[in-house]
Amino acid sequence: MEAFATFLLNFVYVSAILALVALGLAMVFGLLGVMNMAHGEFVMLGAYSAYVVQTAQISFFWAIPLAIFVSAILGFLIEWSVIRHLYNRAFDTLLATWGLAILIRKGVEVVFTRDYKSVNQVVPGTVELFGVNYPAYRLILISIIICIFVVLLLWYQRSKVGLRVRAMVQNPGLAAAIGIDIAILSRVTFVIGVSTAGLAGALLAPLVRVEPYIGLDYLLSSFFILVVGGLGSIEGLLIGSTIIGGTDAVISTIFDKTAGYMSVLIISILFLWLRPDGIFYRR
Amino acid sequence: MAFSIVVKLSLLSLLIAFPFVTNSYSAYQLGLYLLYGIVGQGIALCWGKGGFLPLGQALFFGIGAYISGLMLQNDVGWGLVIVTLSLAIVIPFLLAGVVGVLVFNRQIGSGPYFSLITLALALVGFQLANSQVWLTGGFNGLTGINGLPNIDSFGSLYFVIVGALVLTTIILSKIMGSPFGLLLEAVRENEERLQFLGNNTSWIKAAAFAISGGIAGLAGAFFAPHQGIVTPQVLGFILSAELVIWTAVGGRFGLLGPVIGAVLIGFLASGLRDAFVYWEVIVAFVFILVVLRLPGGIGAIGVHLSRKIGLNFHSYDEISERSRPVPEVDKIITRELKFEEVTITRGSVVILDKLSFKIEGLGIQCLIGPNGAGKTSALNALTGKLEVDSGEISWCGRSLNNVRPFQTLSLGIGRKFQVPSIFPNLTIRQNIDLSLWVNRLKRNQLLSMVPYTWKSDLLEKLEEVFPFISDKSLIAGSLSVGERQMLDFTMTVLSEPSLVLLDEPCAGLSKAETETMIKAIADLSKSSKSMFIIVEHDMQVVELLSDNVLVMHQGKLIAQGSLAEIRSNKDVQRVYAGGTK
Repeated sequence: MEAFATFLLNFVYVSAILALVALGLAMVFGLLGVMNMAHGEFVMLGAYSAYVVQTAQISFFWAIPLAIFVSAILGFLIEWSVIRHLYNRAFDTLLATWGLAILIRKGVEVVFTRDYKSVNQVVPGTVELFGVNYPAYRLILISIIICIFVVLLLWYQRSKVGLRVRAMVQNPGLAAAIGIDIAILSRVTFVIGVSTAGLAGALLAPLVRVEPYIGLDYLLSSFFILVVGGLGSIEGLLIGSTIIGGTDAVISTIFDKTAGYMSVLIISILFLWLRPDGIFYRR
Repeated sequence: MAFSIVVKLSLLSLLIAFPFVTNSYSAYQLGLYLLYGIVGQGIALCWGKGGFLPLGQALFFGIGAYISGLMLQNDVGWGLVIVTLSLAIVIPFLLAGVVGVLVFNRQIGSGPYFSLITLALALVGFQLANSQVWLTGGFNGLTGINGLPNIDSFGSLYFVIVGALVLTTIILSKIMGSPFGLLLEAVRENEERLQFLGNNTSWIKAAAFAISGGIAGLAGAFFAPHQGIVTPQVLGFILSAELVIWTAVGGRFGLLGPVIGAVLIGFLASGLRDAFVYWEVIVAFVFILVVLRLPGGIGAIGVHLSRKIGLNFHSYDEISERSRPVPEVDKIITRELKFEEVTITRGSVVILDKLSFKIEGLGIQCLIGPNGAGKTSALNALTGKLEVDSGEISWCGRSLNNVRPFQTLSLGIGRKFQVPSIFPNLTIRQNIDLSLWVNRLKRNQLLSMVPYTWKSDLLEKLEEVFPFISDKSLIAGSLSVGERQMLDFTMTVLSEPSLVLLDEPCAGLSKAETETMIKAIADLSKSSKSMFIIVEHDMQVVELLSDNVLVMHQGKLIAQGSLAEIRSNKDVQRVYAGGTK
């Protein structure tokens, strides 16, 4: 019973984290059609923000605004200099953002070197839940992620900006004709998307190794989630995260890490091949 | 002699002289970059010509490397080496071919799914190479790989690699210049139109992908003896991405570009690696610049400069004269088209509502009806573009319910869409060639140059009506809308189909152009043994052309008969002049 409760909590935790990491890519790829290969690098920048805050010996909570600030500024510059020329050219966004990913990685390497950094646990200790002692920070993370999703969902469905974004996604030409500034709206969407990636990085920093090359893992798992869940809906994103996180967790427990990763890859390939509908639900 | 051949020969002499003017270490390095360049040539075939991007090309390179590495761990003679080389080509070739057929058969277009699948496959390969220690040596890789028999890996192997590069360049330029190469470019330009010229485009793409896989395998087979070690990195994601970057920077539209890209970036990297640690930043900047501003890469600059100094890189005077008559196409004797209670619904919308009619014989049938009546949908259902929910469509006794678009041509059905659909970046001459090959180009002629010399009486007749189509070097995309309609019409009828479907052939034409078009259609229907179905709104066109008129309204047929009969039909009057809507 206890083992099952632990497994269940781990499962919720892994799925929640995956969903948060993939959220930014879902916005940028799902709403704008930009295959952002530099997505993982924003997660990486968020994690480094936490490291910087720790080095400066100020409260960990400053990592969150710093990560969002850094990602937003960089996201703005990237959108302005590169992405806005490439909307509707999916291949080219893929290639250009791959180049950008190299630039960001190298930039971080220049400042912080390639060494592994570690960010200290800010909320140590455990909390008893369903009869098991579970790490407190993980539980806090799960609650924060749920809050983020609820706020975003409400914003997307209720706010005027959310309405305009949905209009733009469905019919950009008509949206422009009724006075929606598509250029600005795309930029805002892009910036918010990469900012959530930065935020995810800052929140995850105490739990993972921090080095310039971690981005690739986050990029790939985000892509797998989007492939499985399909684009265009929060539900899809959550389902994708659960399937990918669940498969990985179950297979890894039964066999080993490699088997878990392989099964995720194979599921993704099957989805890409047989059920790609929705994934390129695009303007 | 074409300027590009001069360039290639001078580059070849530079390559041969390279070890003598520099040192053997530089030549050793260059050998590796040339191998990457060979893989890049395969990427150029798929991406530059076919328009679909393989993102996991290192998988095939790595498979070739592992195959040859496993074999060369033993002391083997040339006999076994030849077998190994063949396997290193054939296995990746078949793997890529199977993946290509499976993926492309399900998905038309060049969307990112294919690219992501190839990327994921490379990741799978990387995992397998890491975990199957018994076969691959796992993380540490295969070691103790011998050189090729009697070939010094640090000396003469370089010349073997140059030989391989010459071979792939010759083979690939032959392929690119052949009818197969033109079909591949047509896939990139307008895949749907190519299907409506009777080509199973998924096979064309899969074949190109297979070739690129085989070529990558060949390069990998030389990588093993060259490096003496094969680790999982050779089939991973990073190398795959780098190969794409080198190809893009060097130029993906030709065969020299990818090699130049791999060699330049390779030497840049090795030269800067010690002096400037962050050399990759430069490469990344150049790469982003190429994506944004220079899709043709360095190769495009080369072609542009050669034009500037008056040398034509691609010379058009080598285009073959049309000298041989086209092979005859089989003609269907009876022409009978039947719609029986055909119903198509999508969501809550009823598109065709138990549509039934039968037409037979020669002559021109005009299909009219208000907007949204289902005229174009009827043609879509007839050509496999729209799936039929119930009912039966048959042509000369054969059911068309499950037909796929490219199969309709072999049944003698040719179709022109309402919006002129041509291959914009190909020349008019190439557009015409593609349509002359419909139902005539046999599999064994895919690499032959003979089909370029085909001439047809019908083409000569059409050239008199539309003189502009005899131009050899003009790009089709530069034509006006009216001329595009005429070119599209020409392409549709050149295959001499027994049933010609024309969807508003006069849309967007000026008055004079409309007259030319009407005359062309009328002449053709008199001289050919074809049934014509024309969807038209312009009653003047209907009046001049129609032998028989079908009227559709809200997915149903409401009248059929001569124009006079239609005019006096009460239902038709009600639909057109108000009443029921």
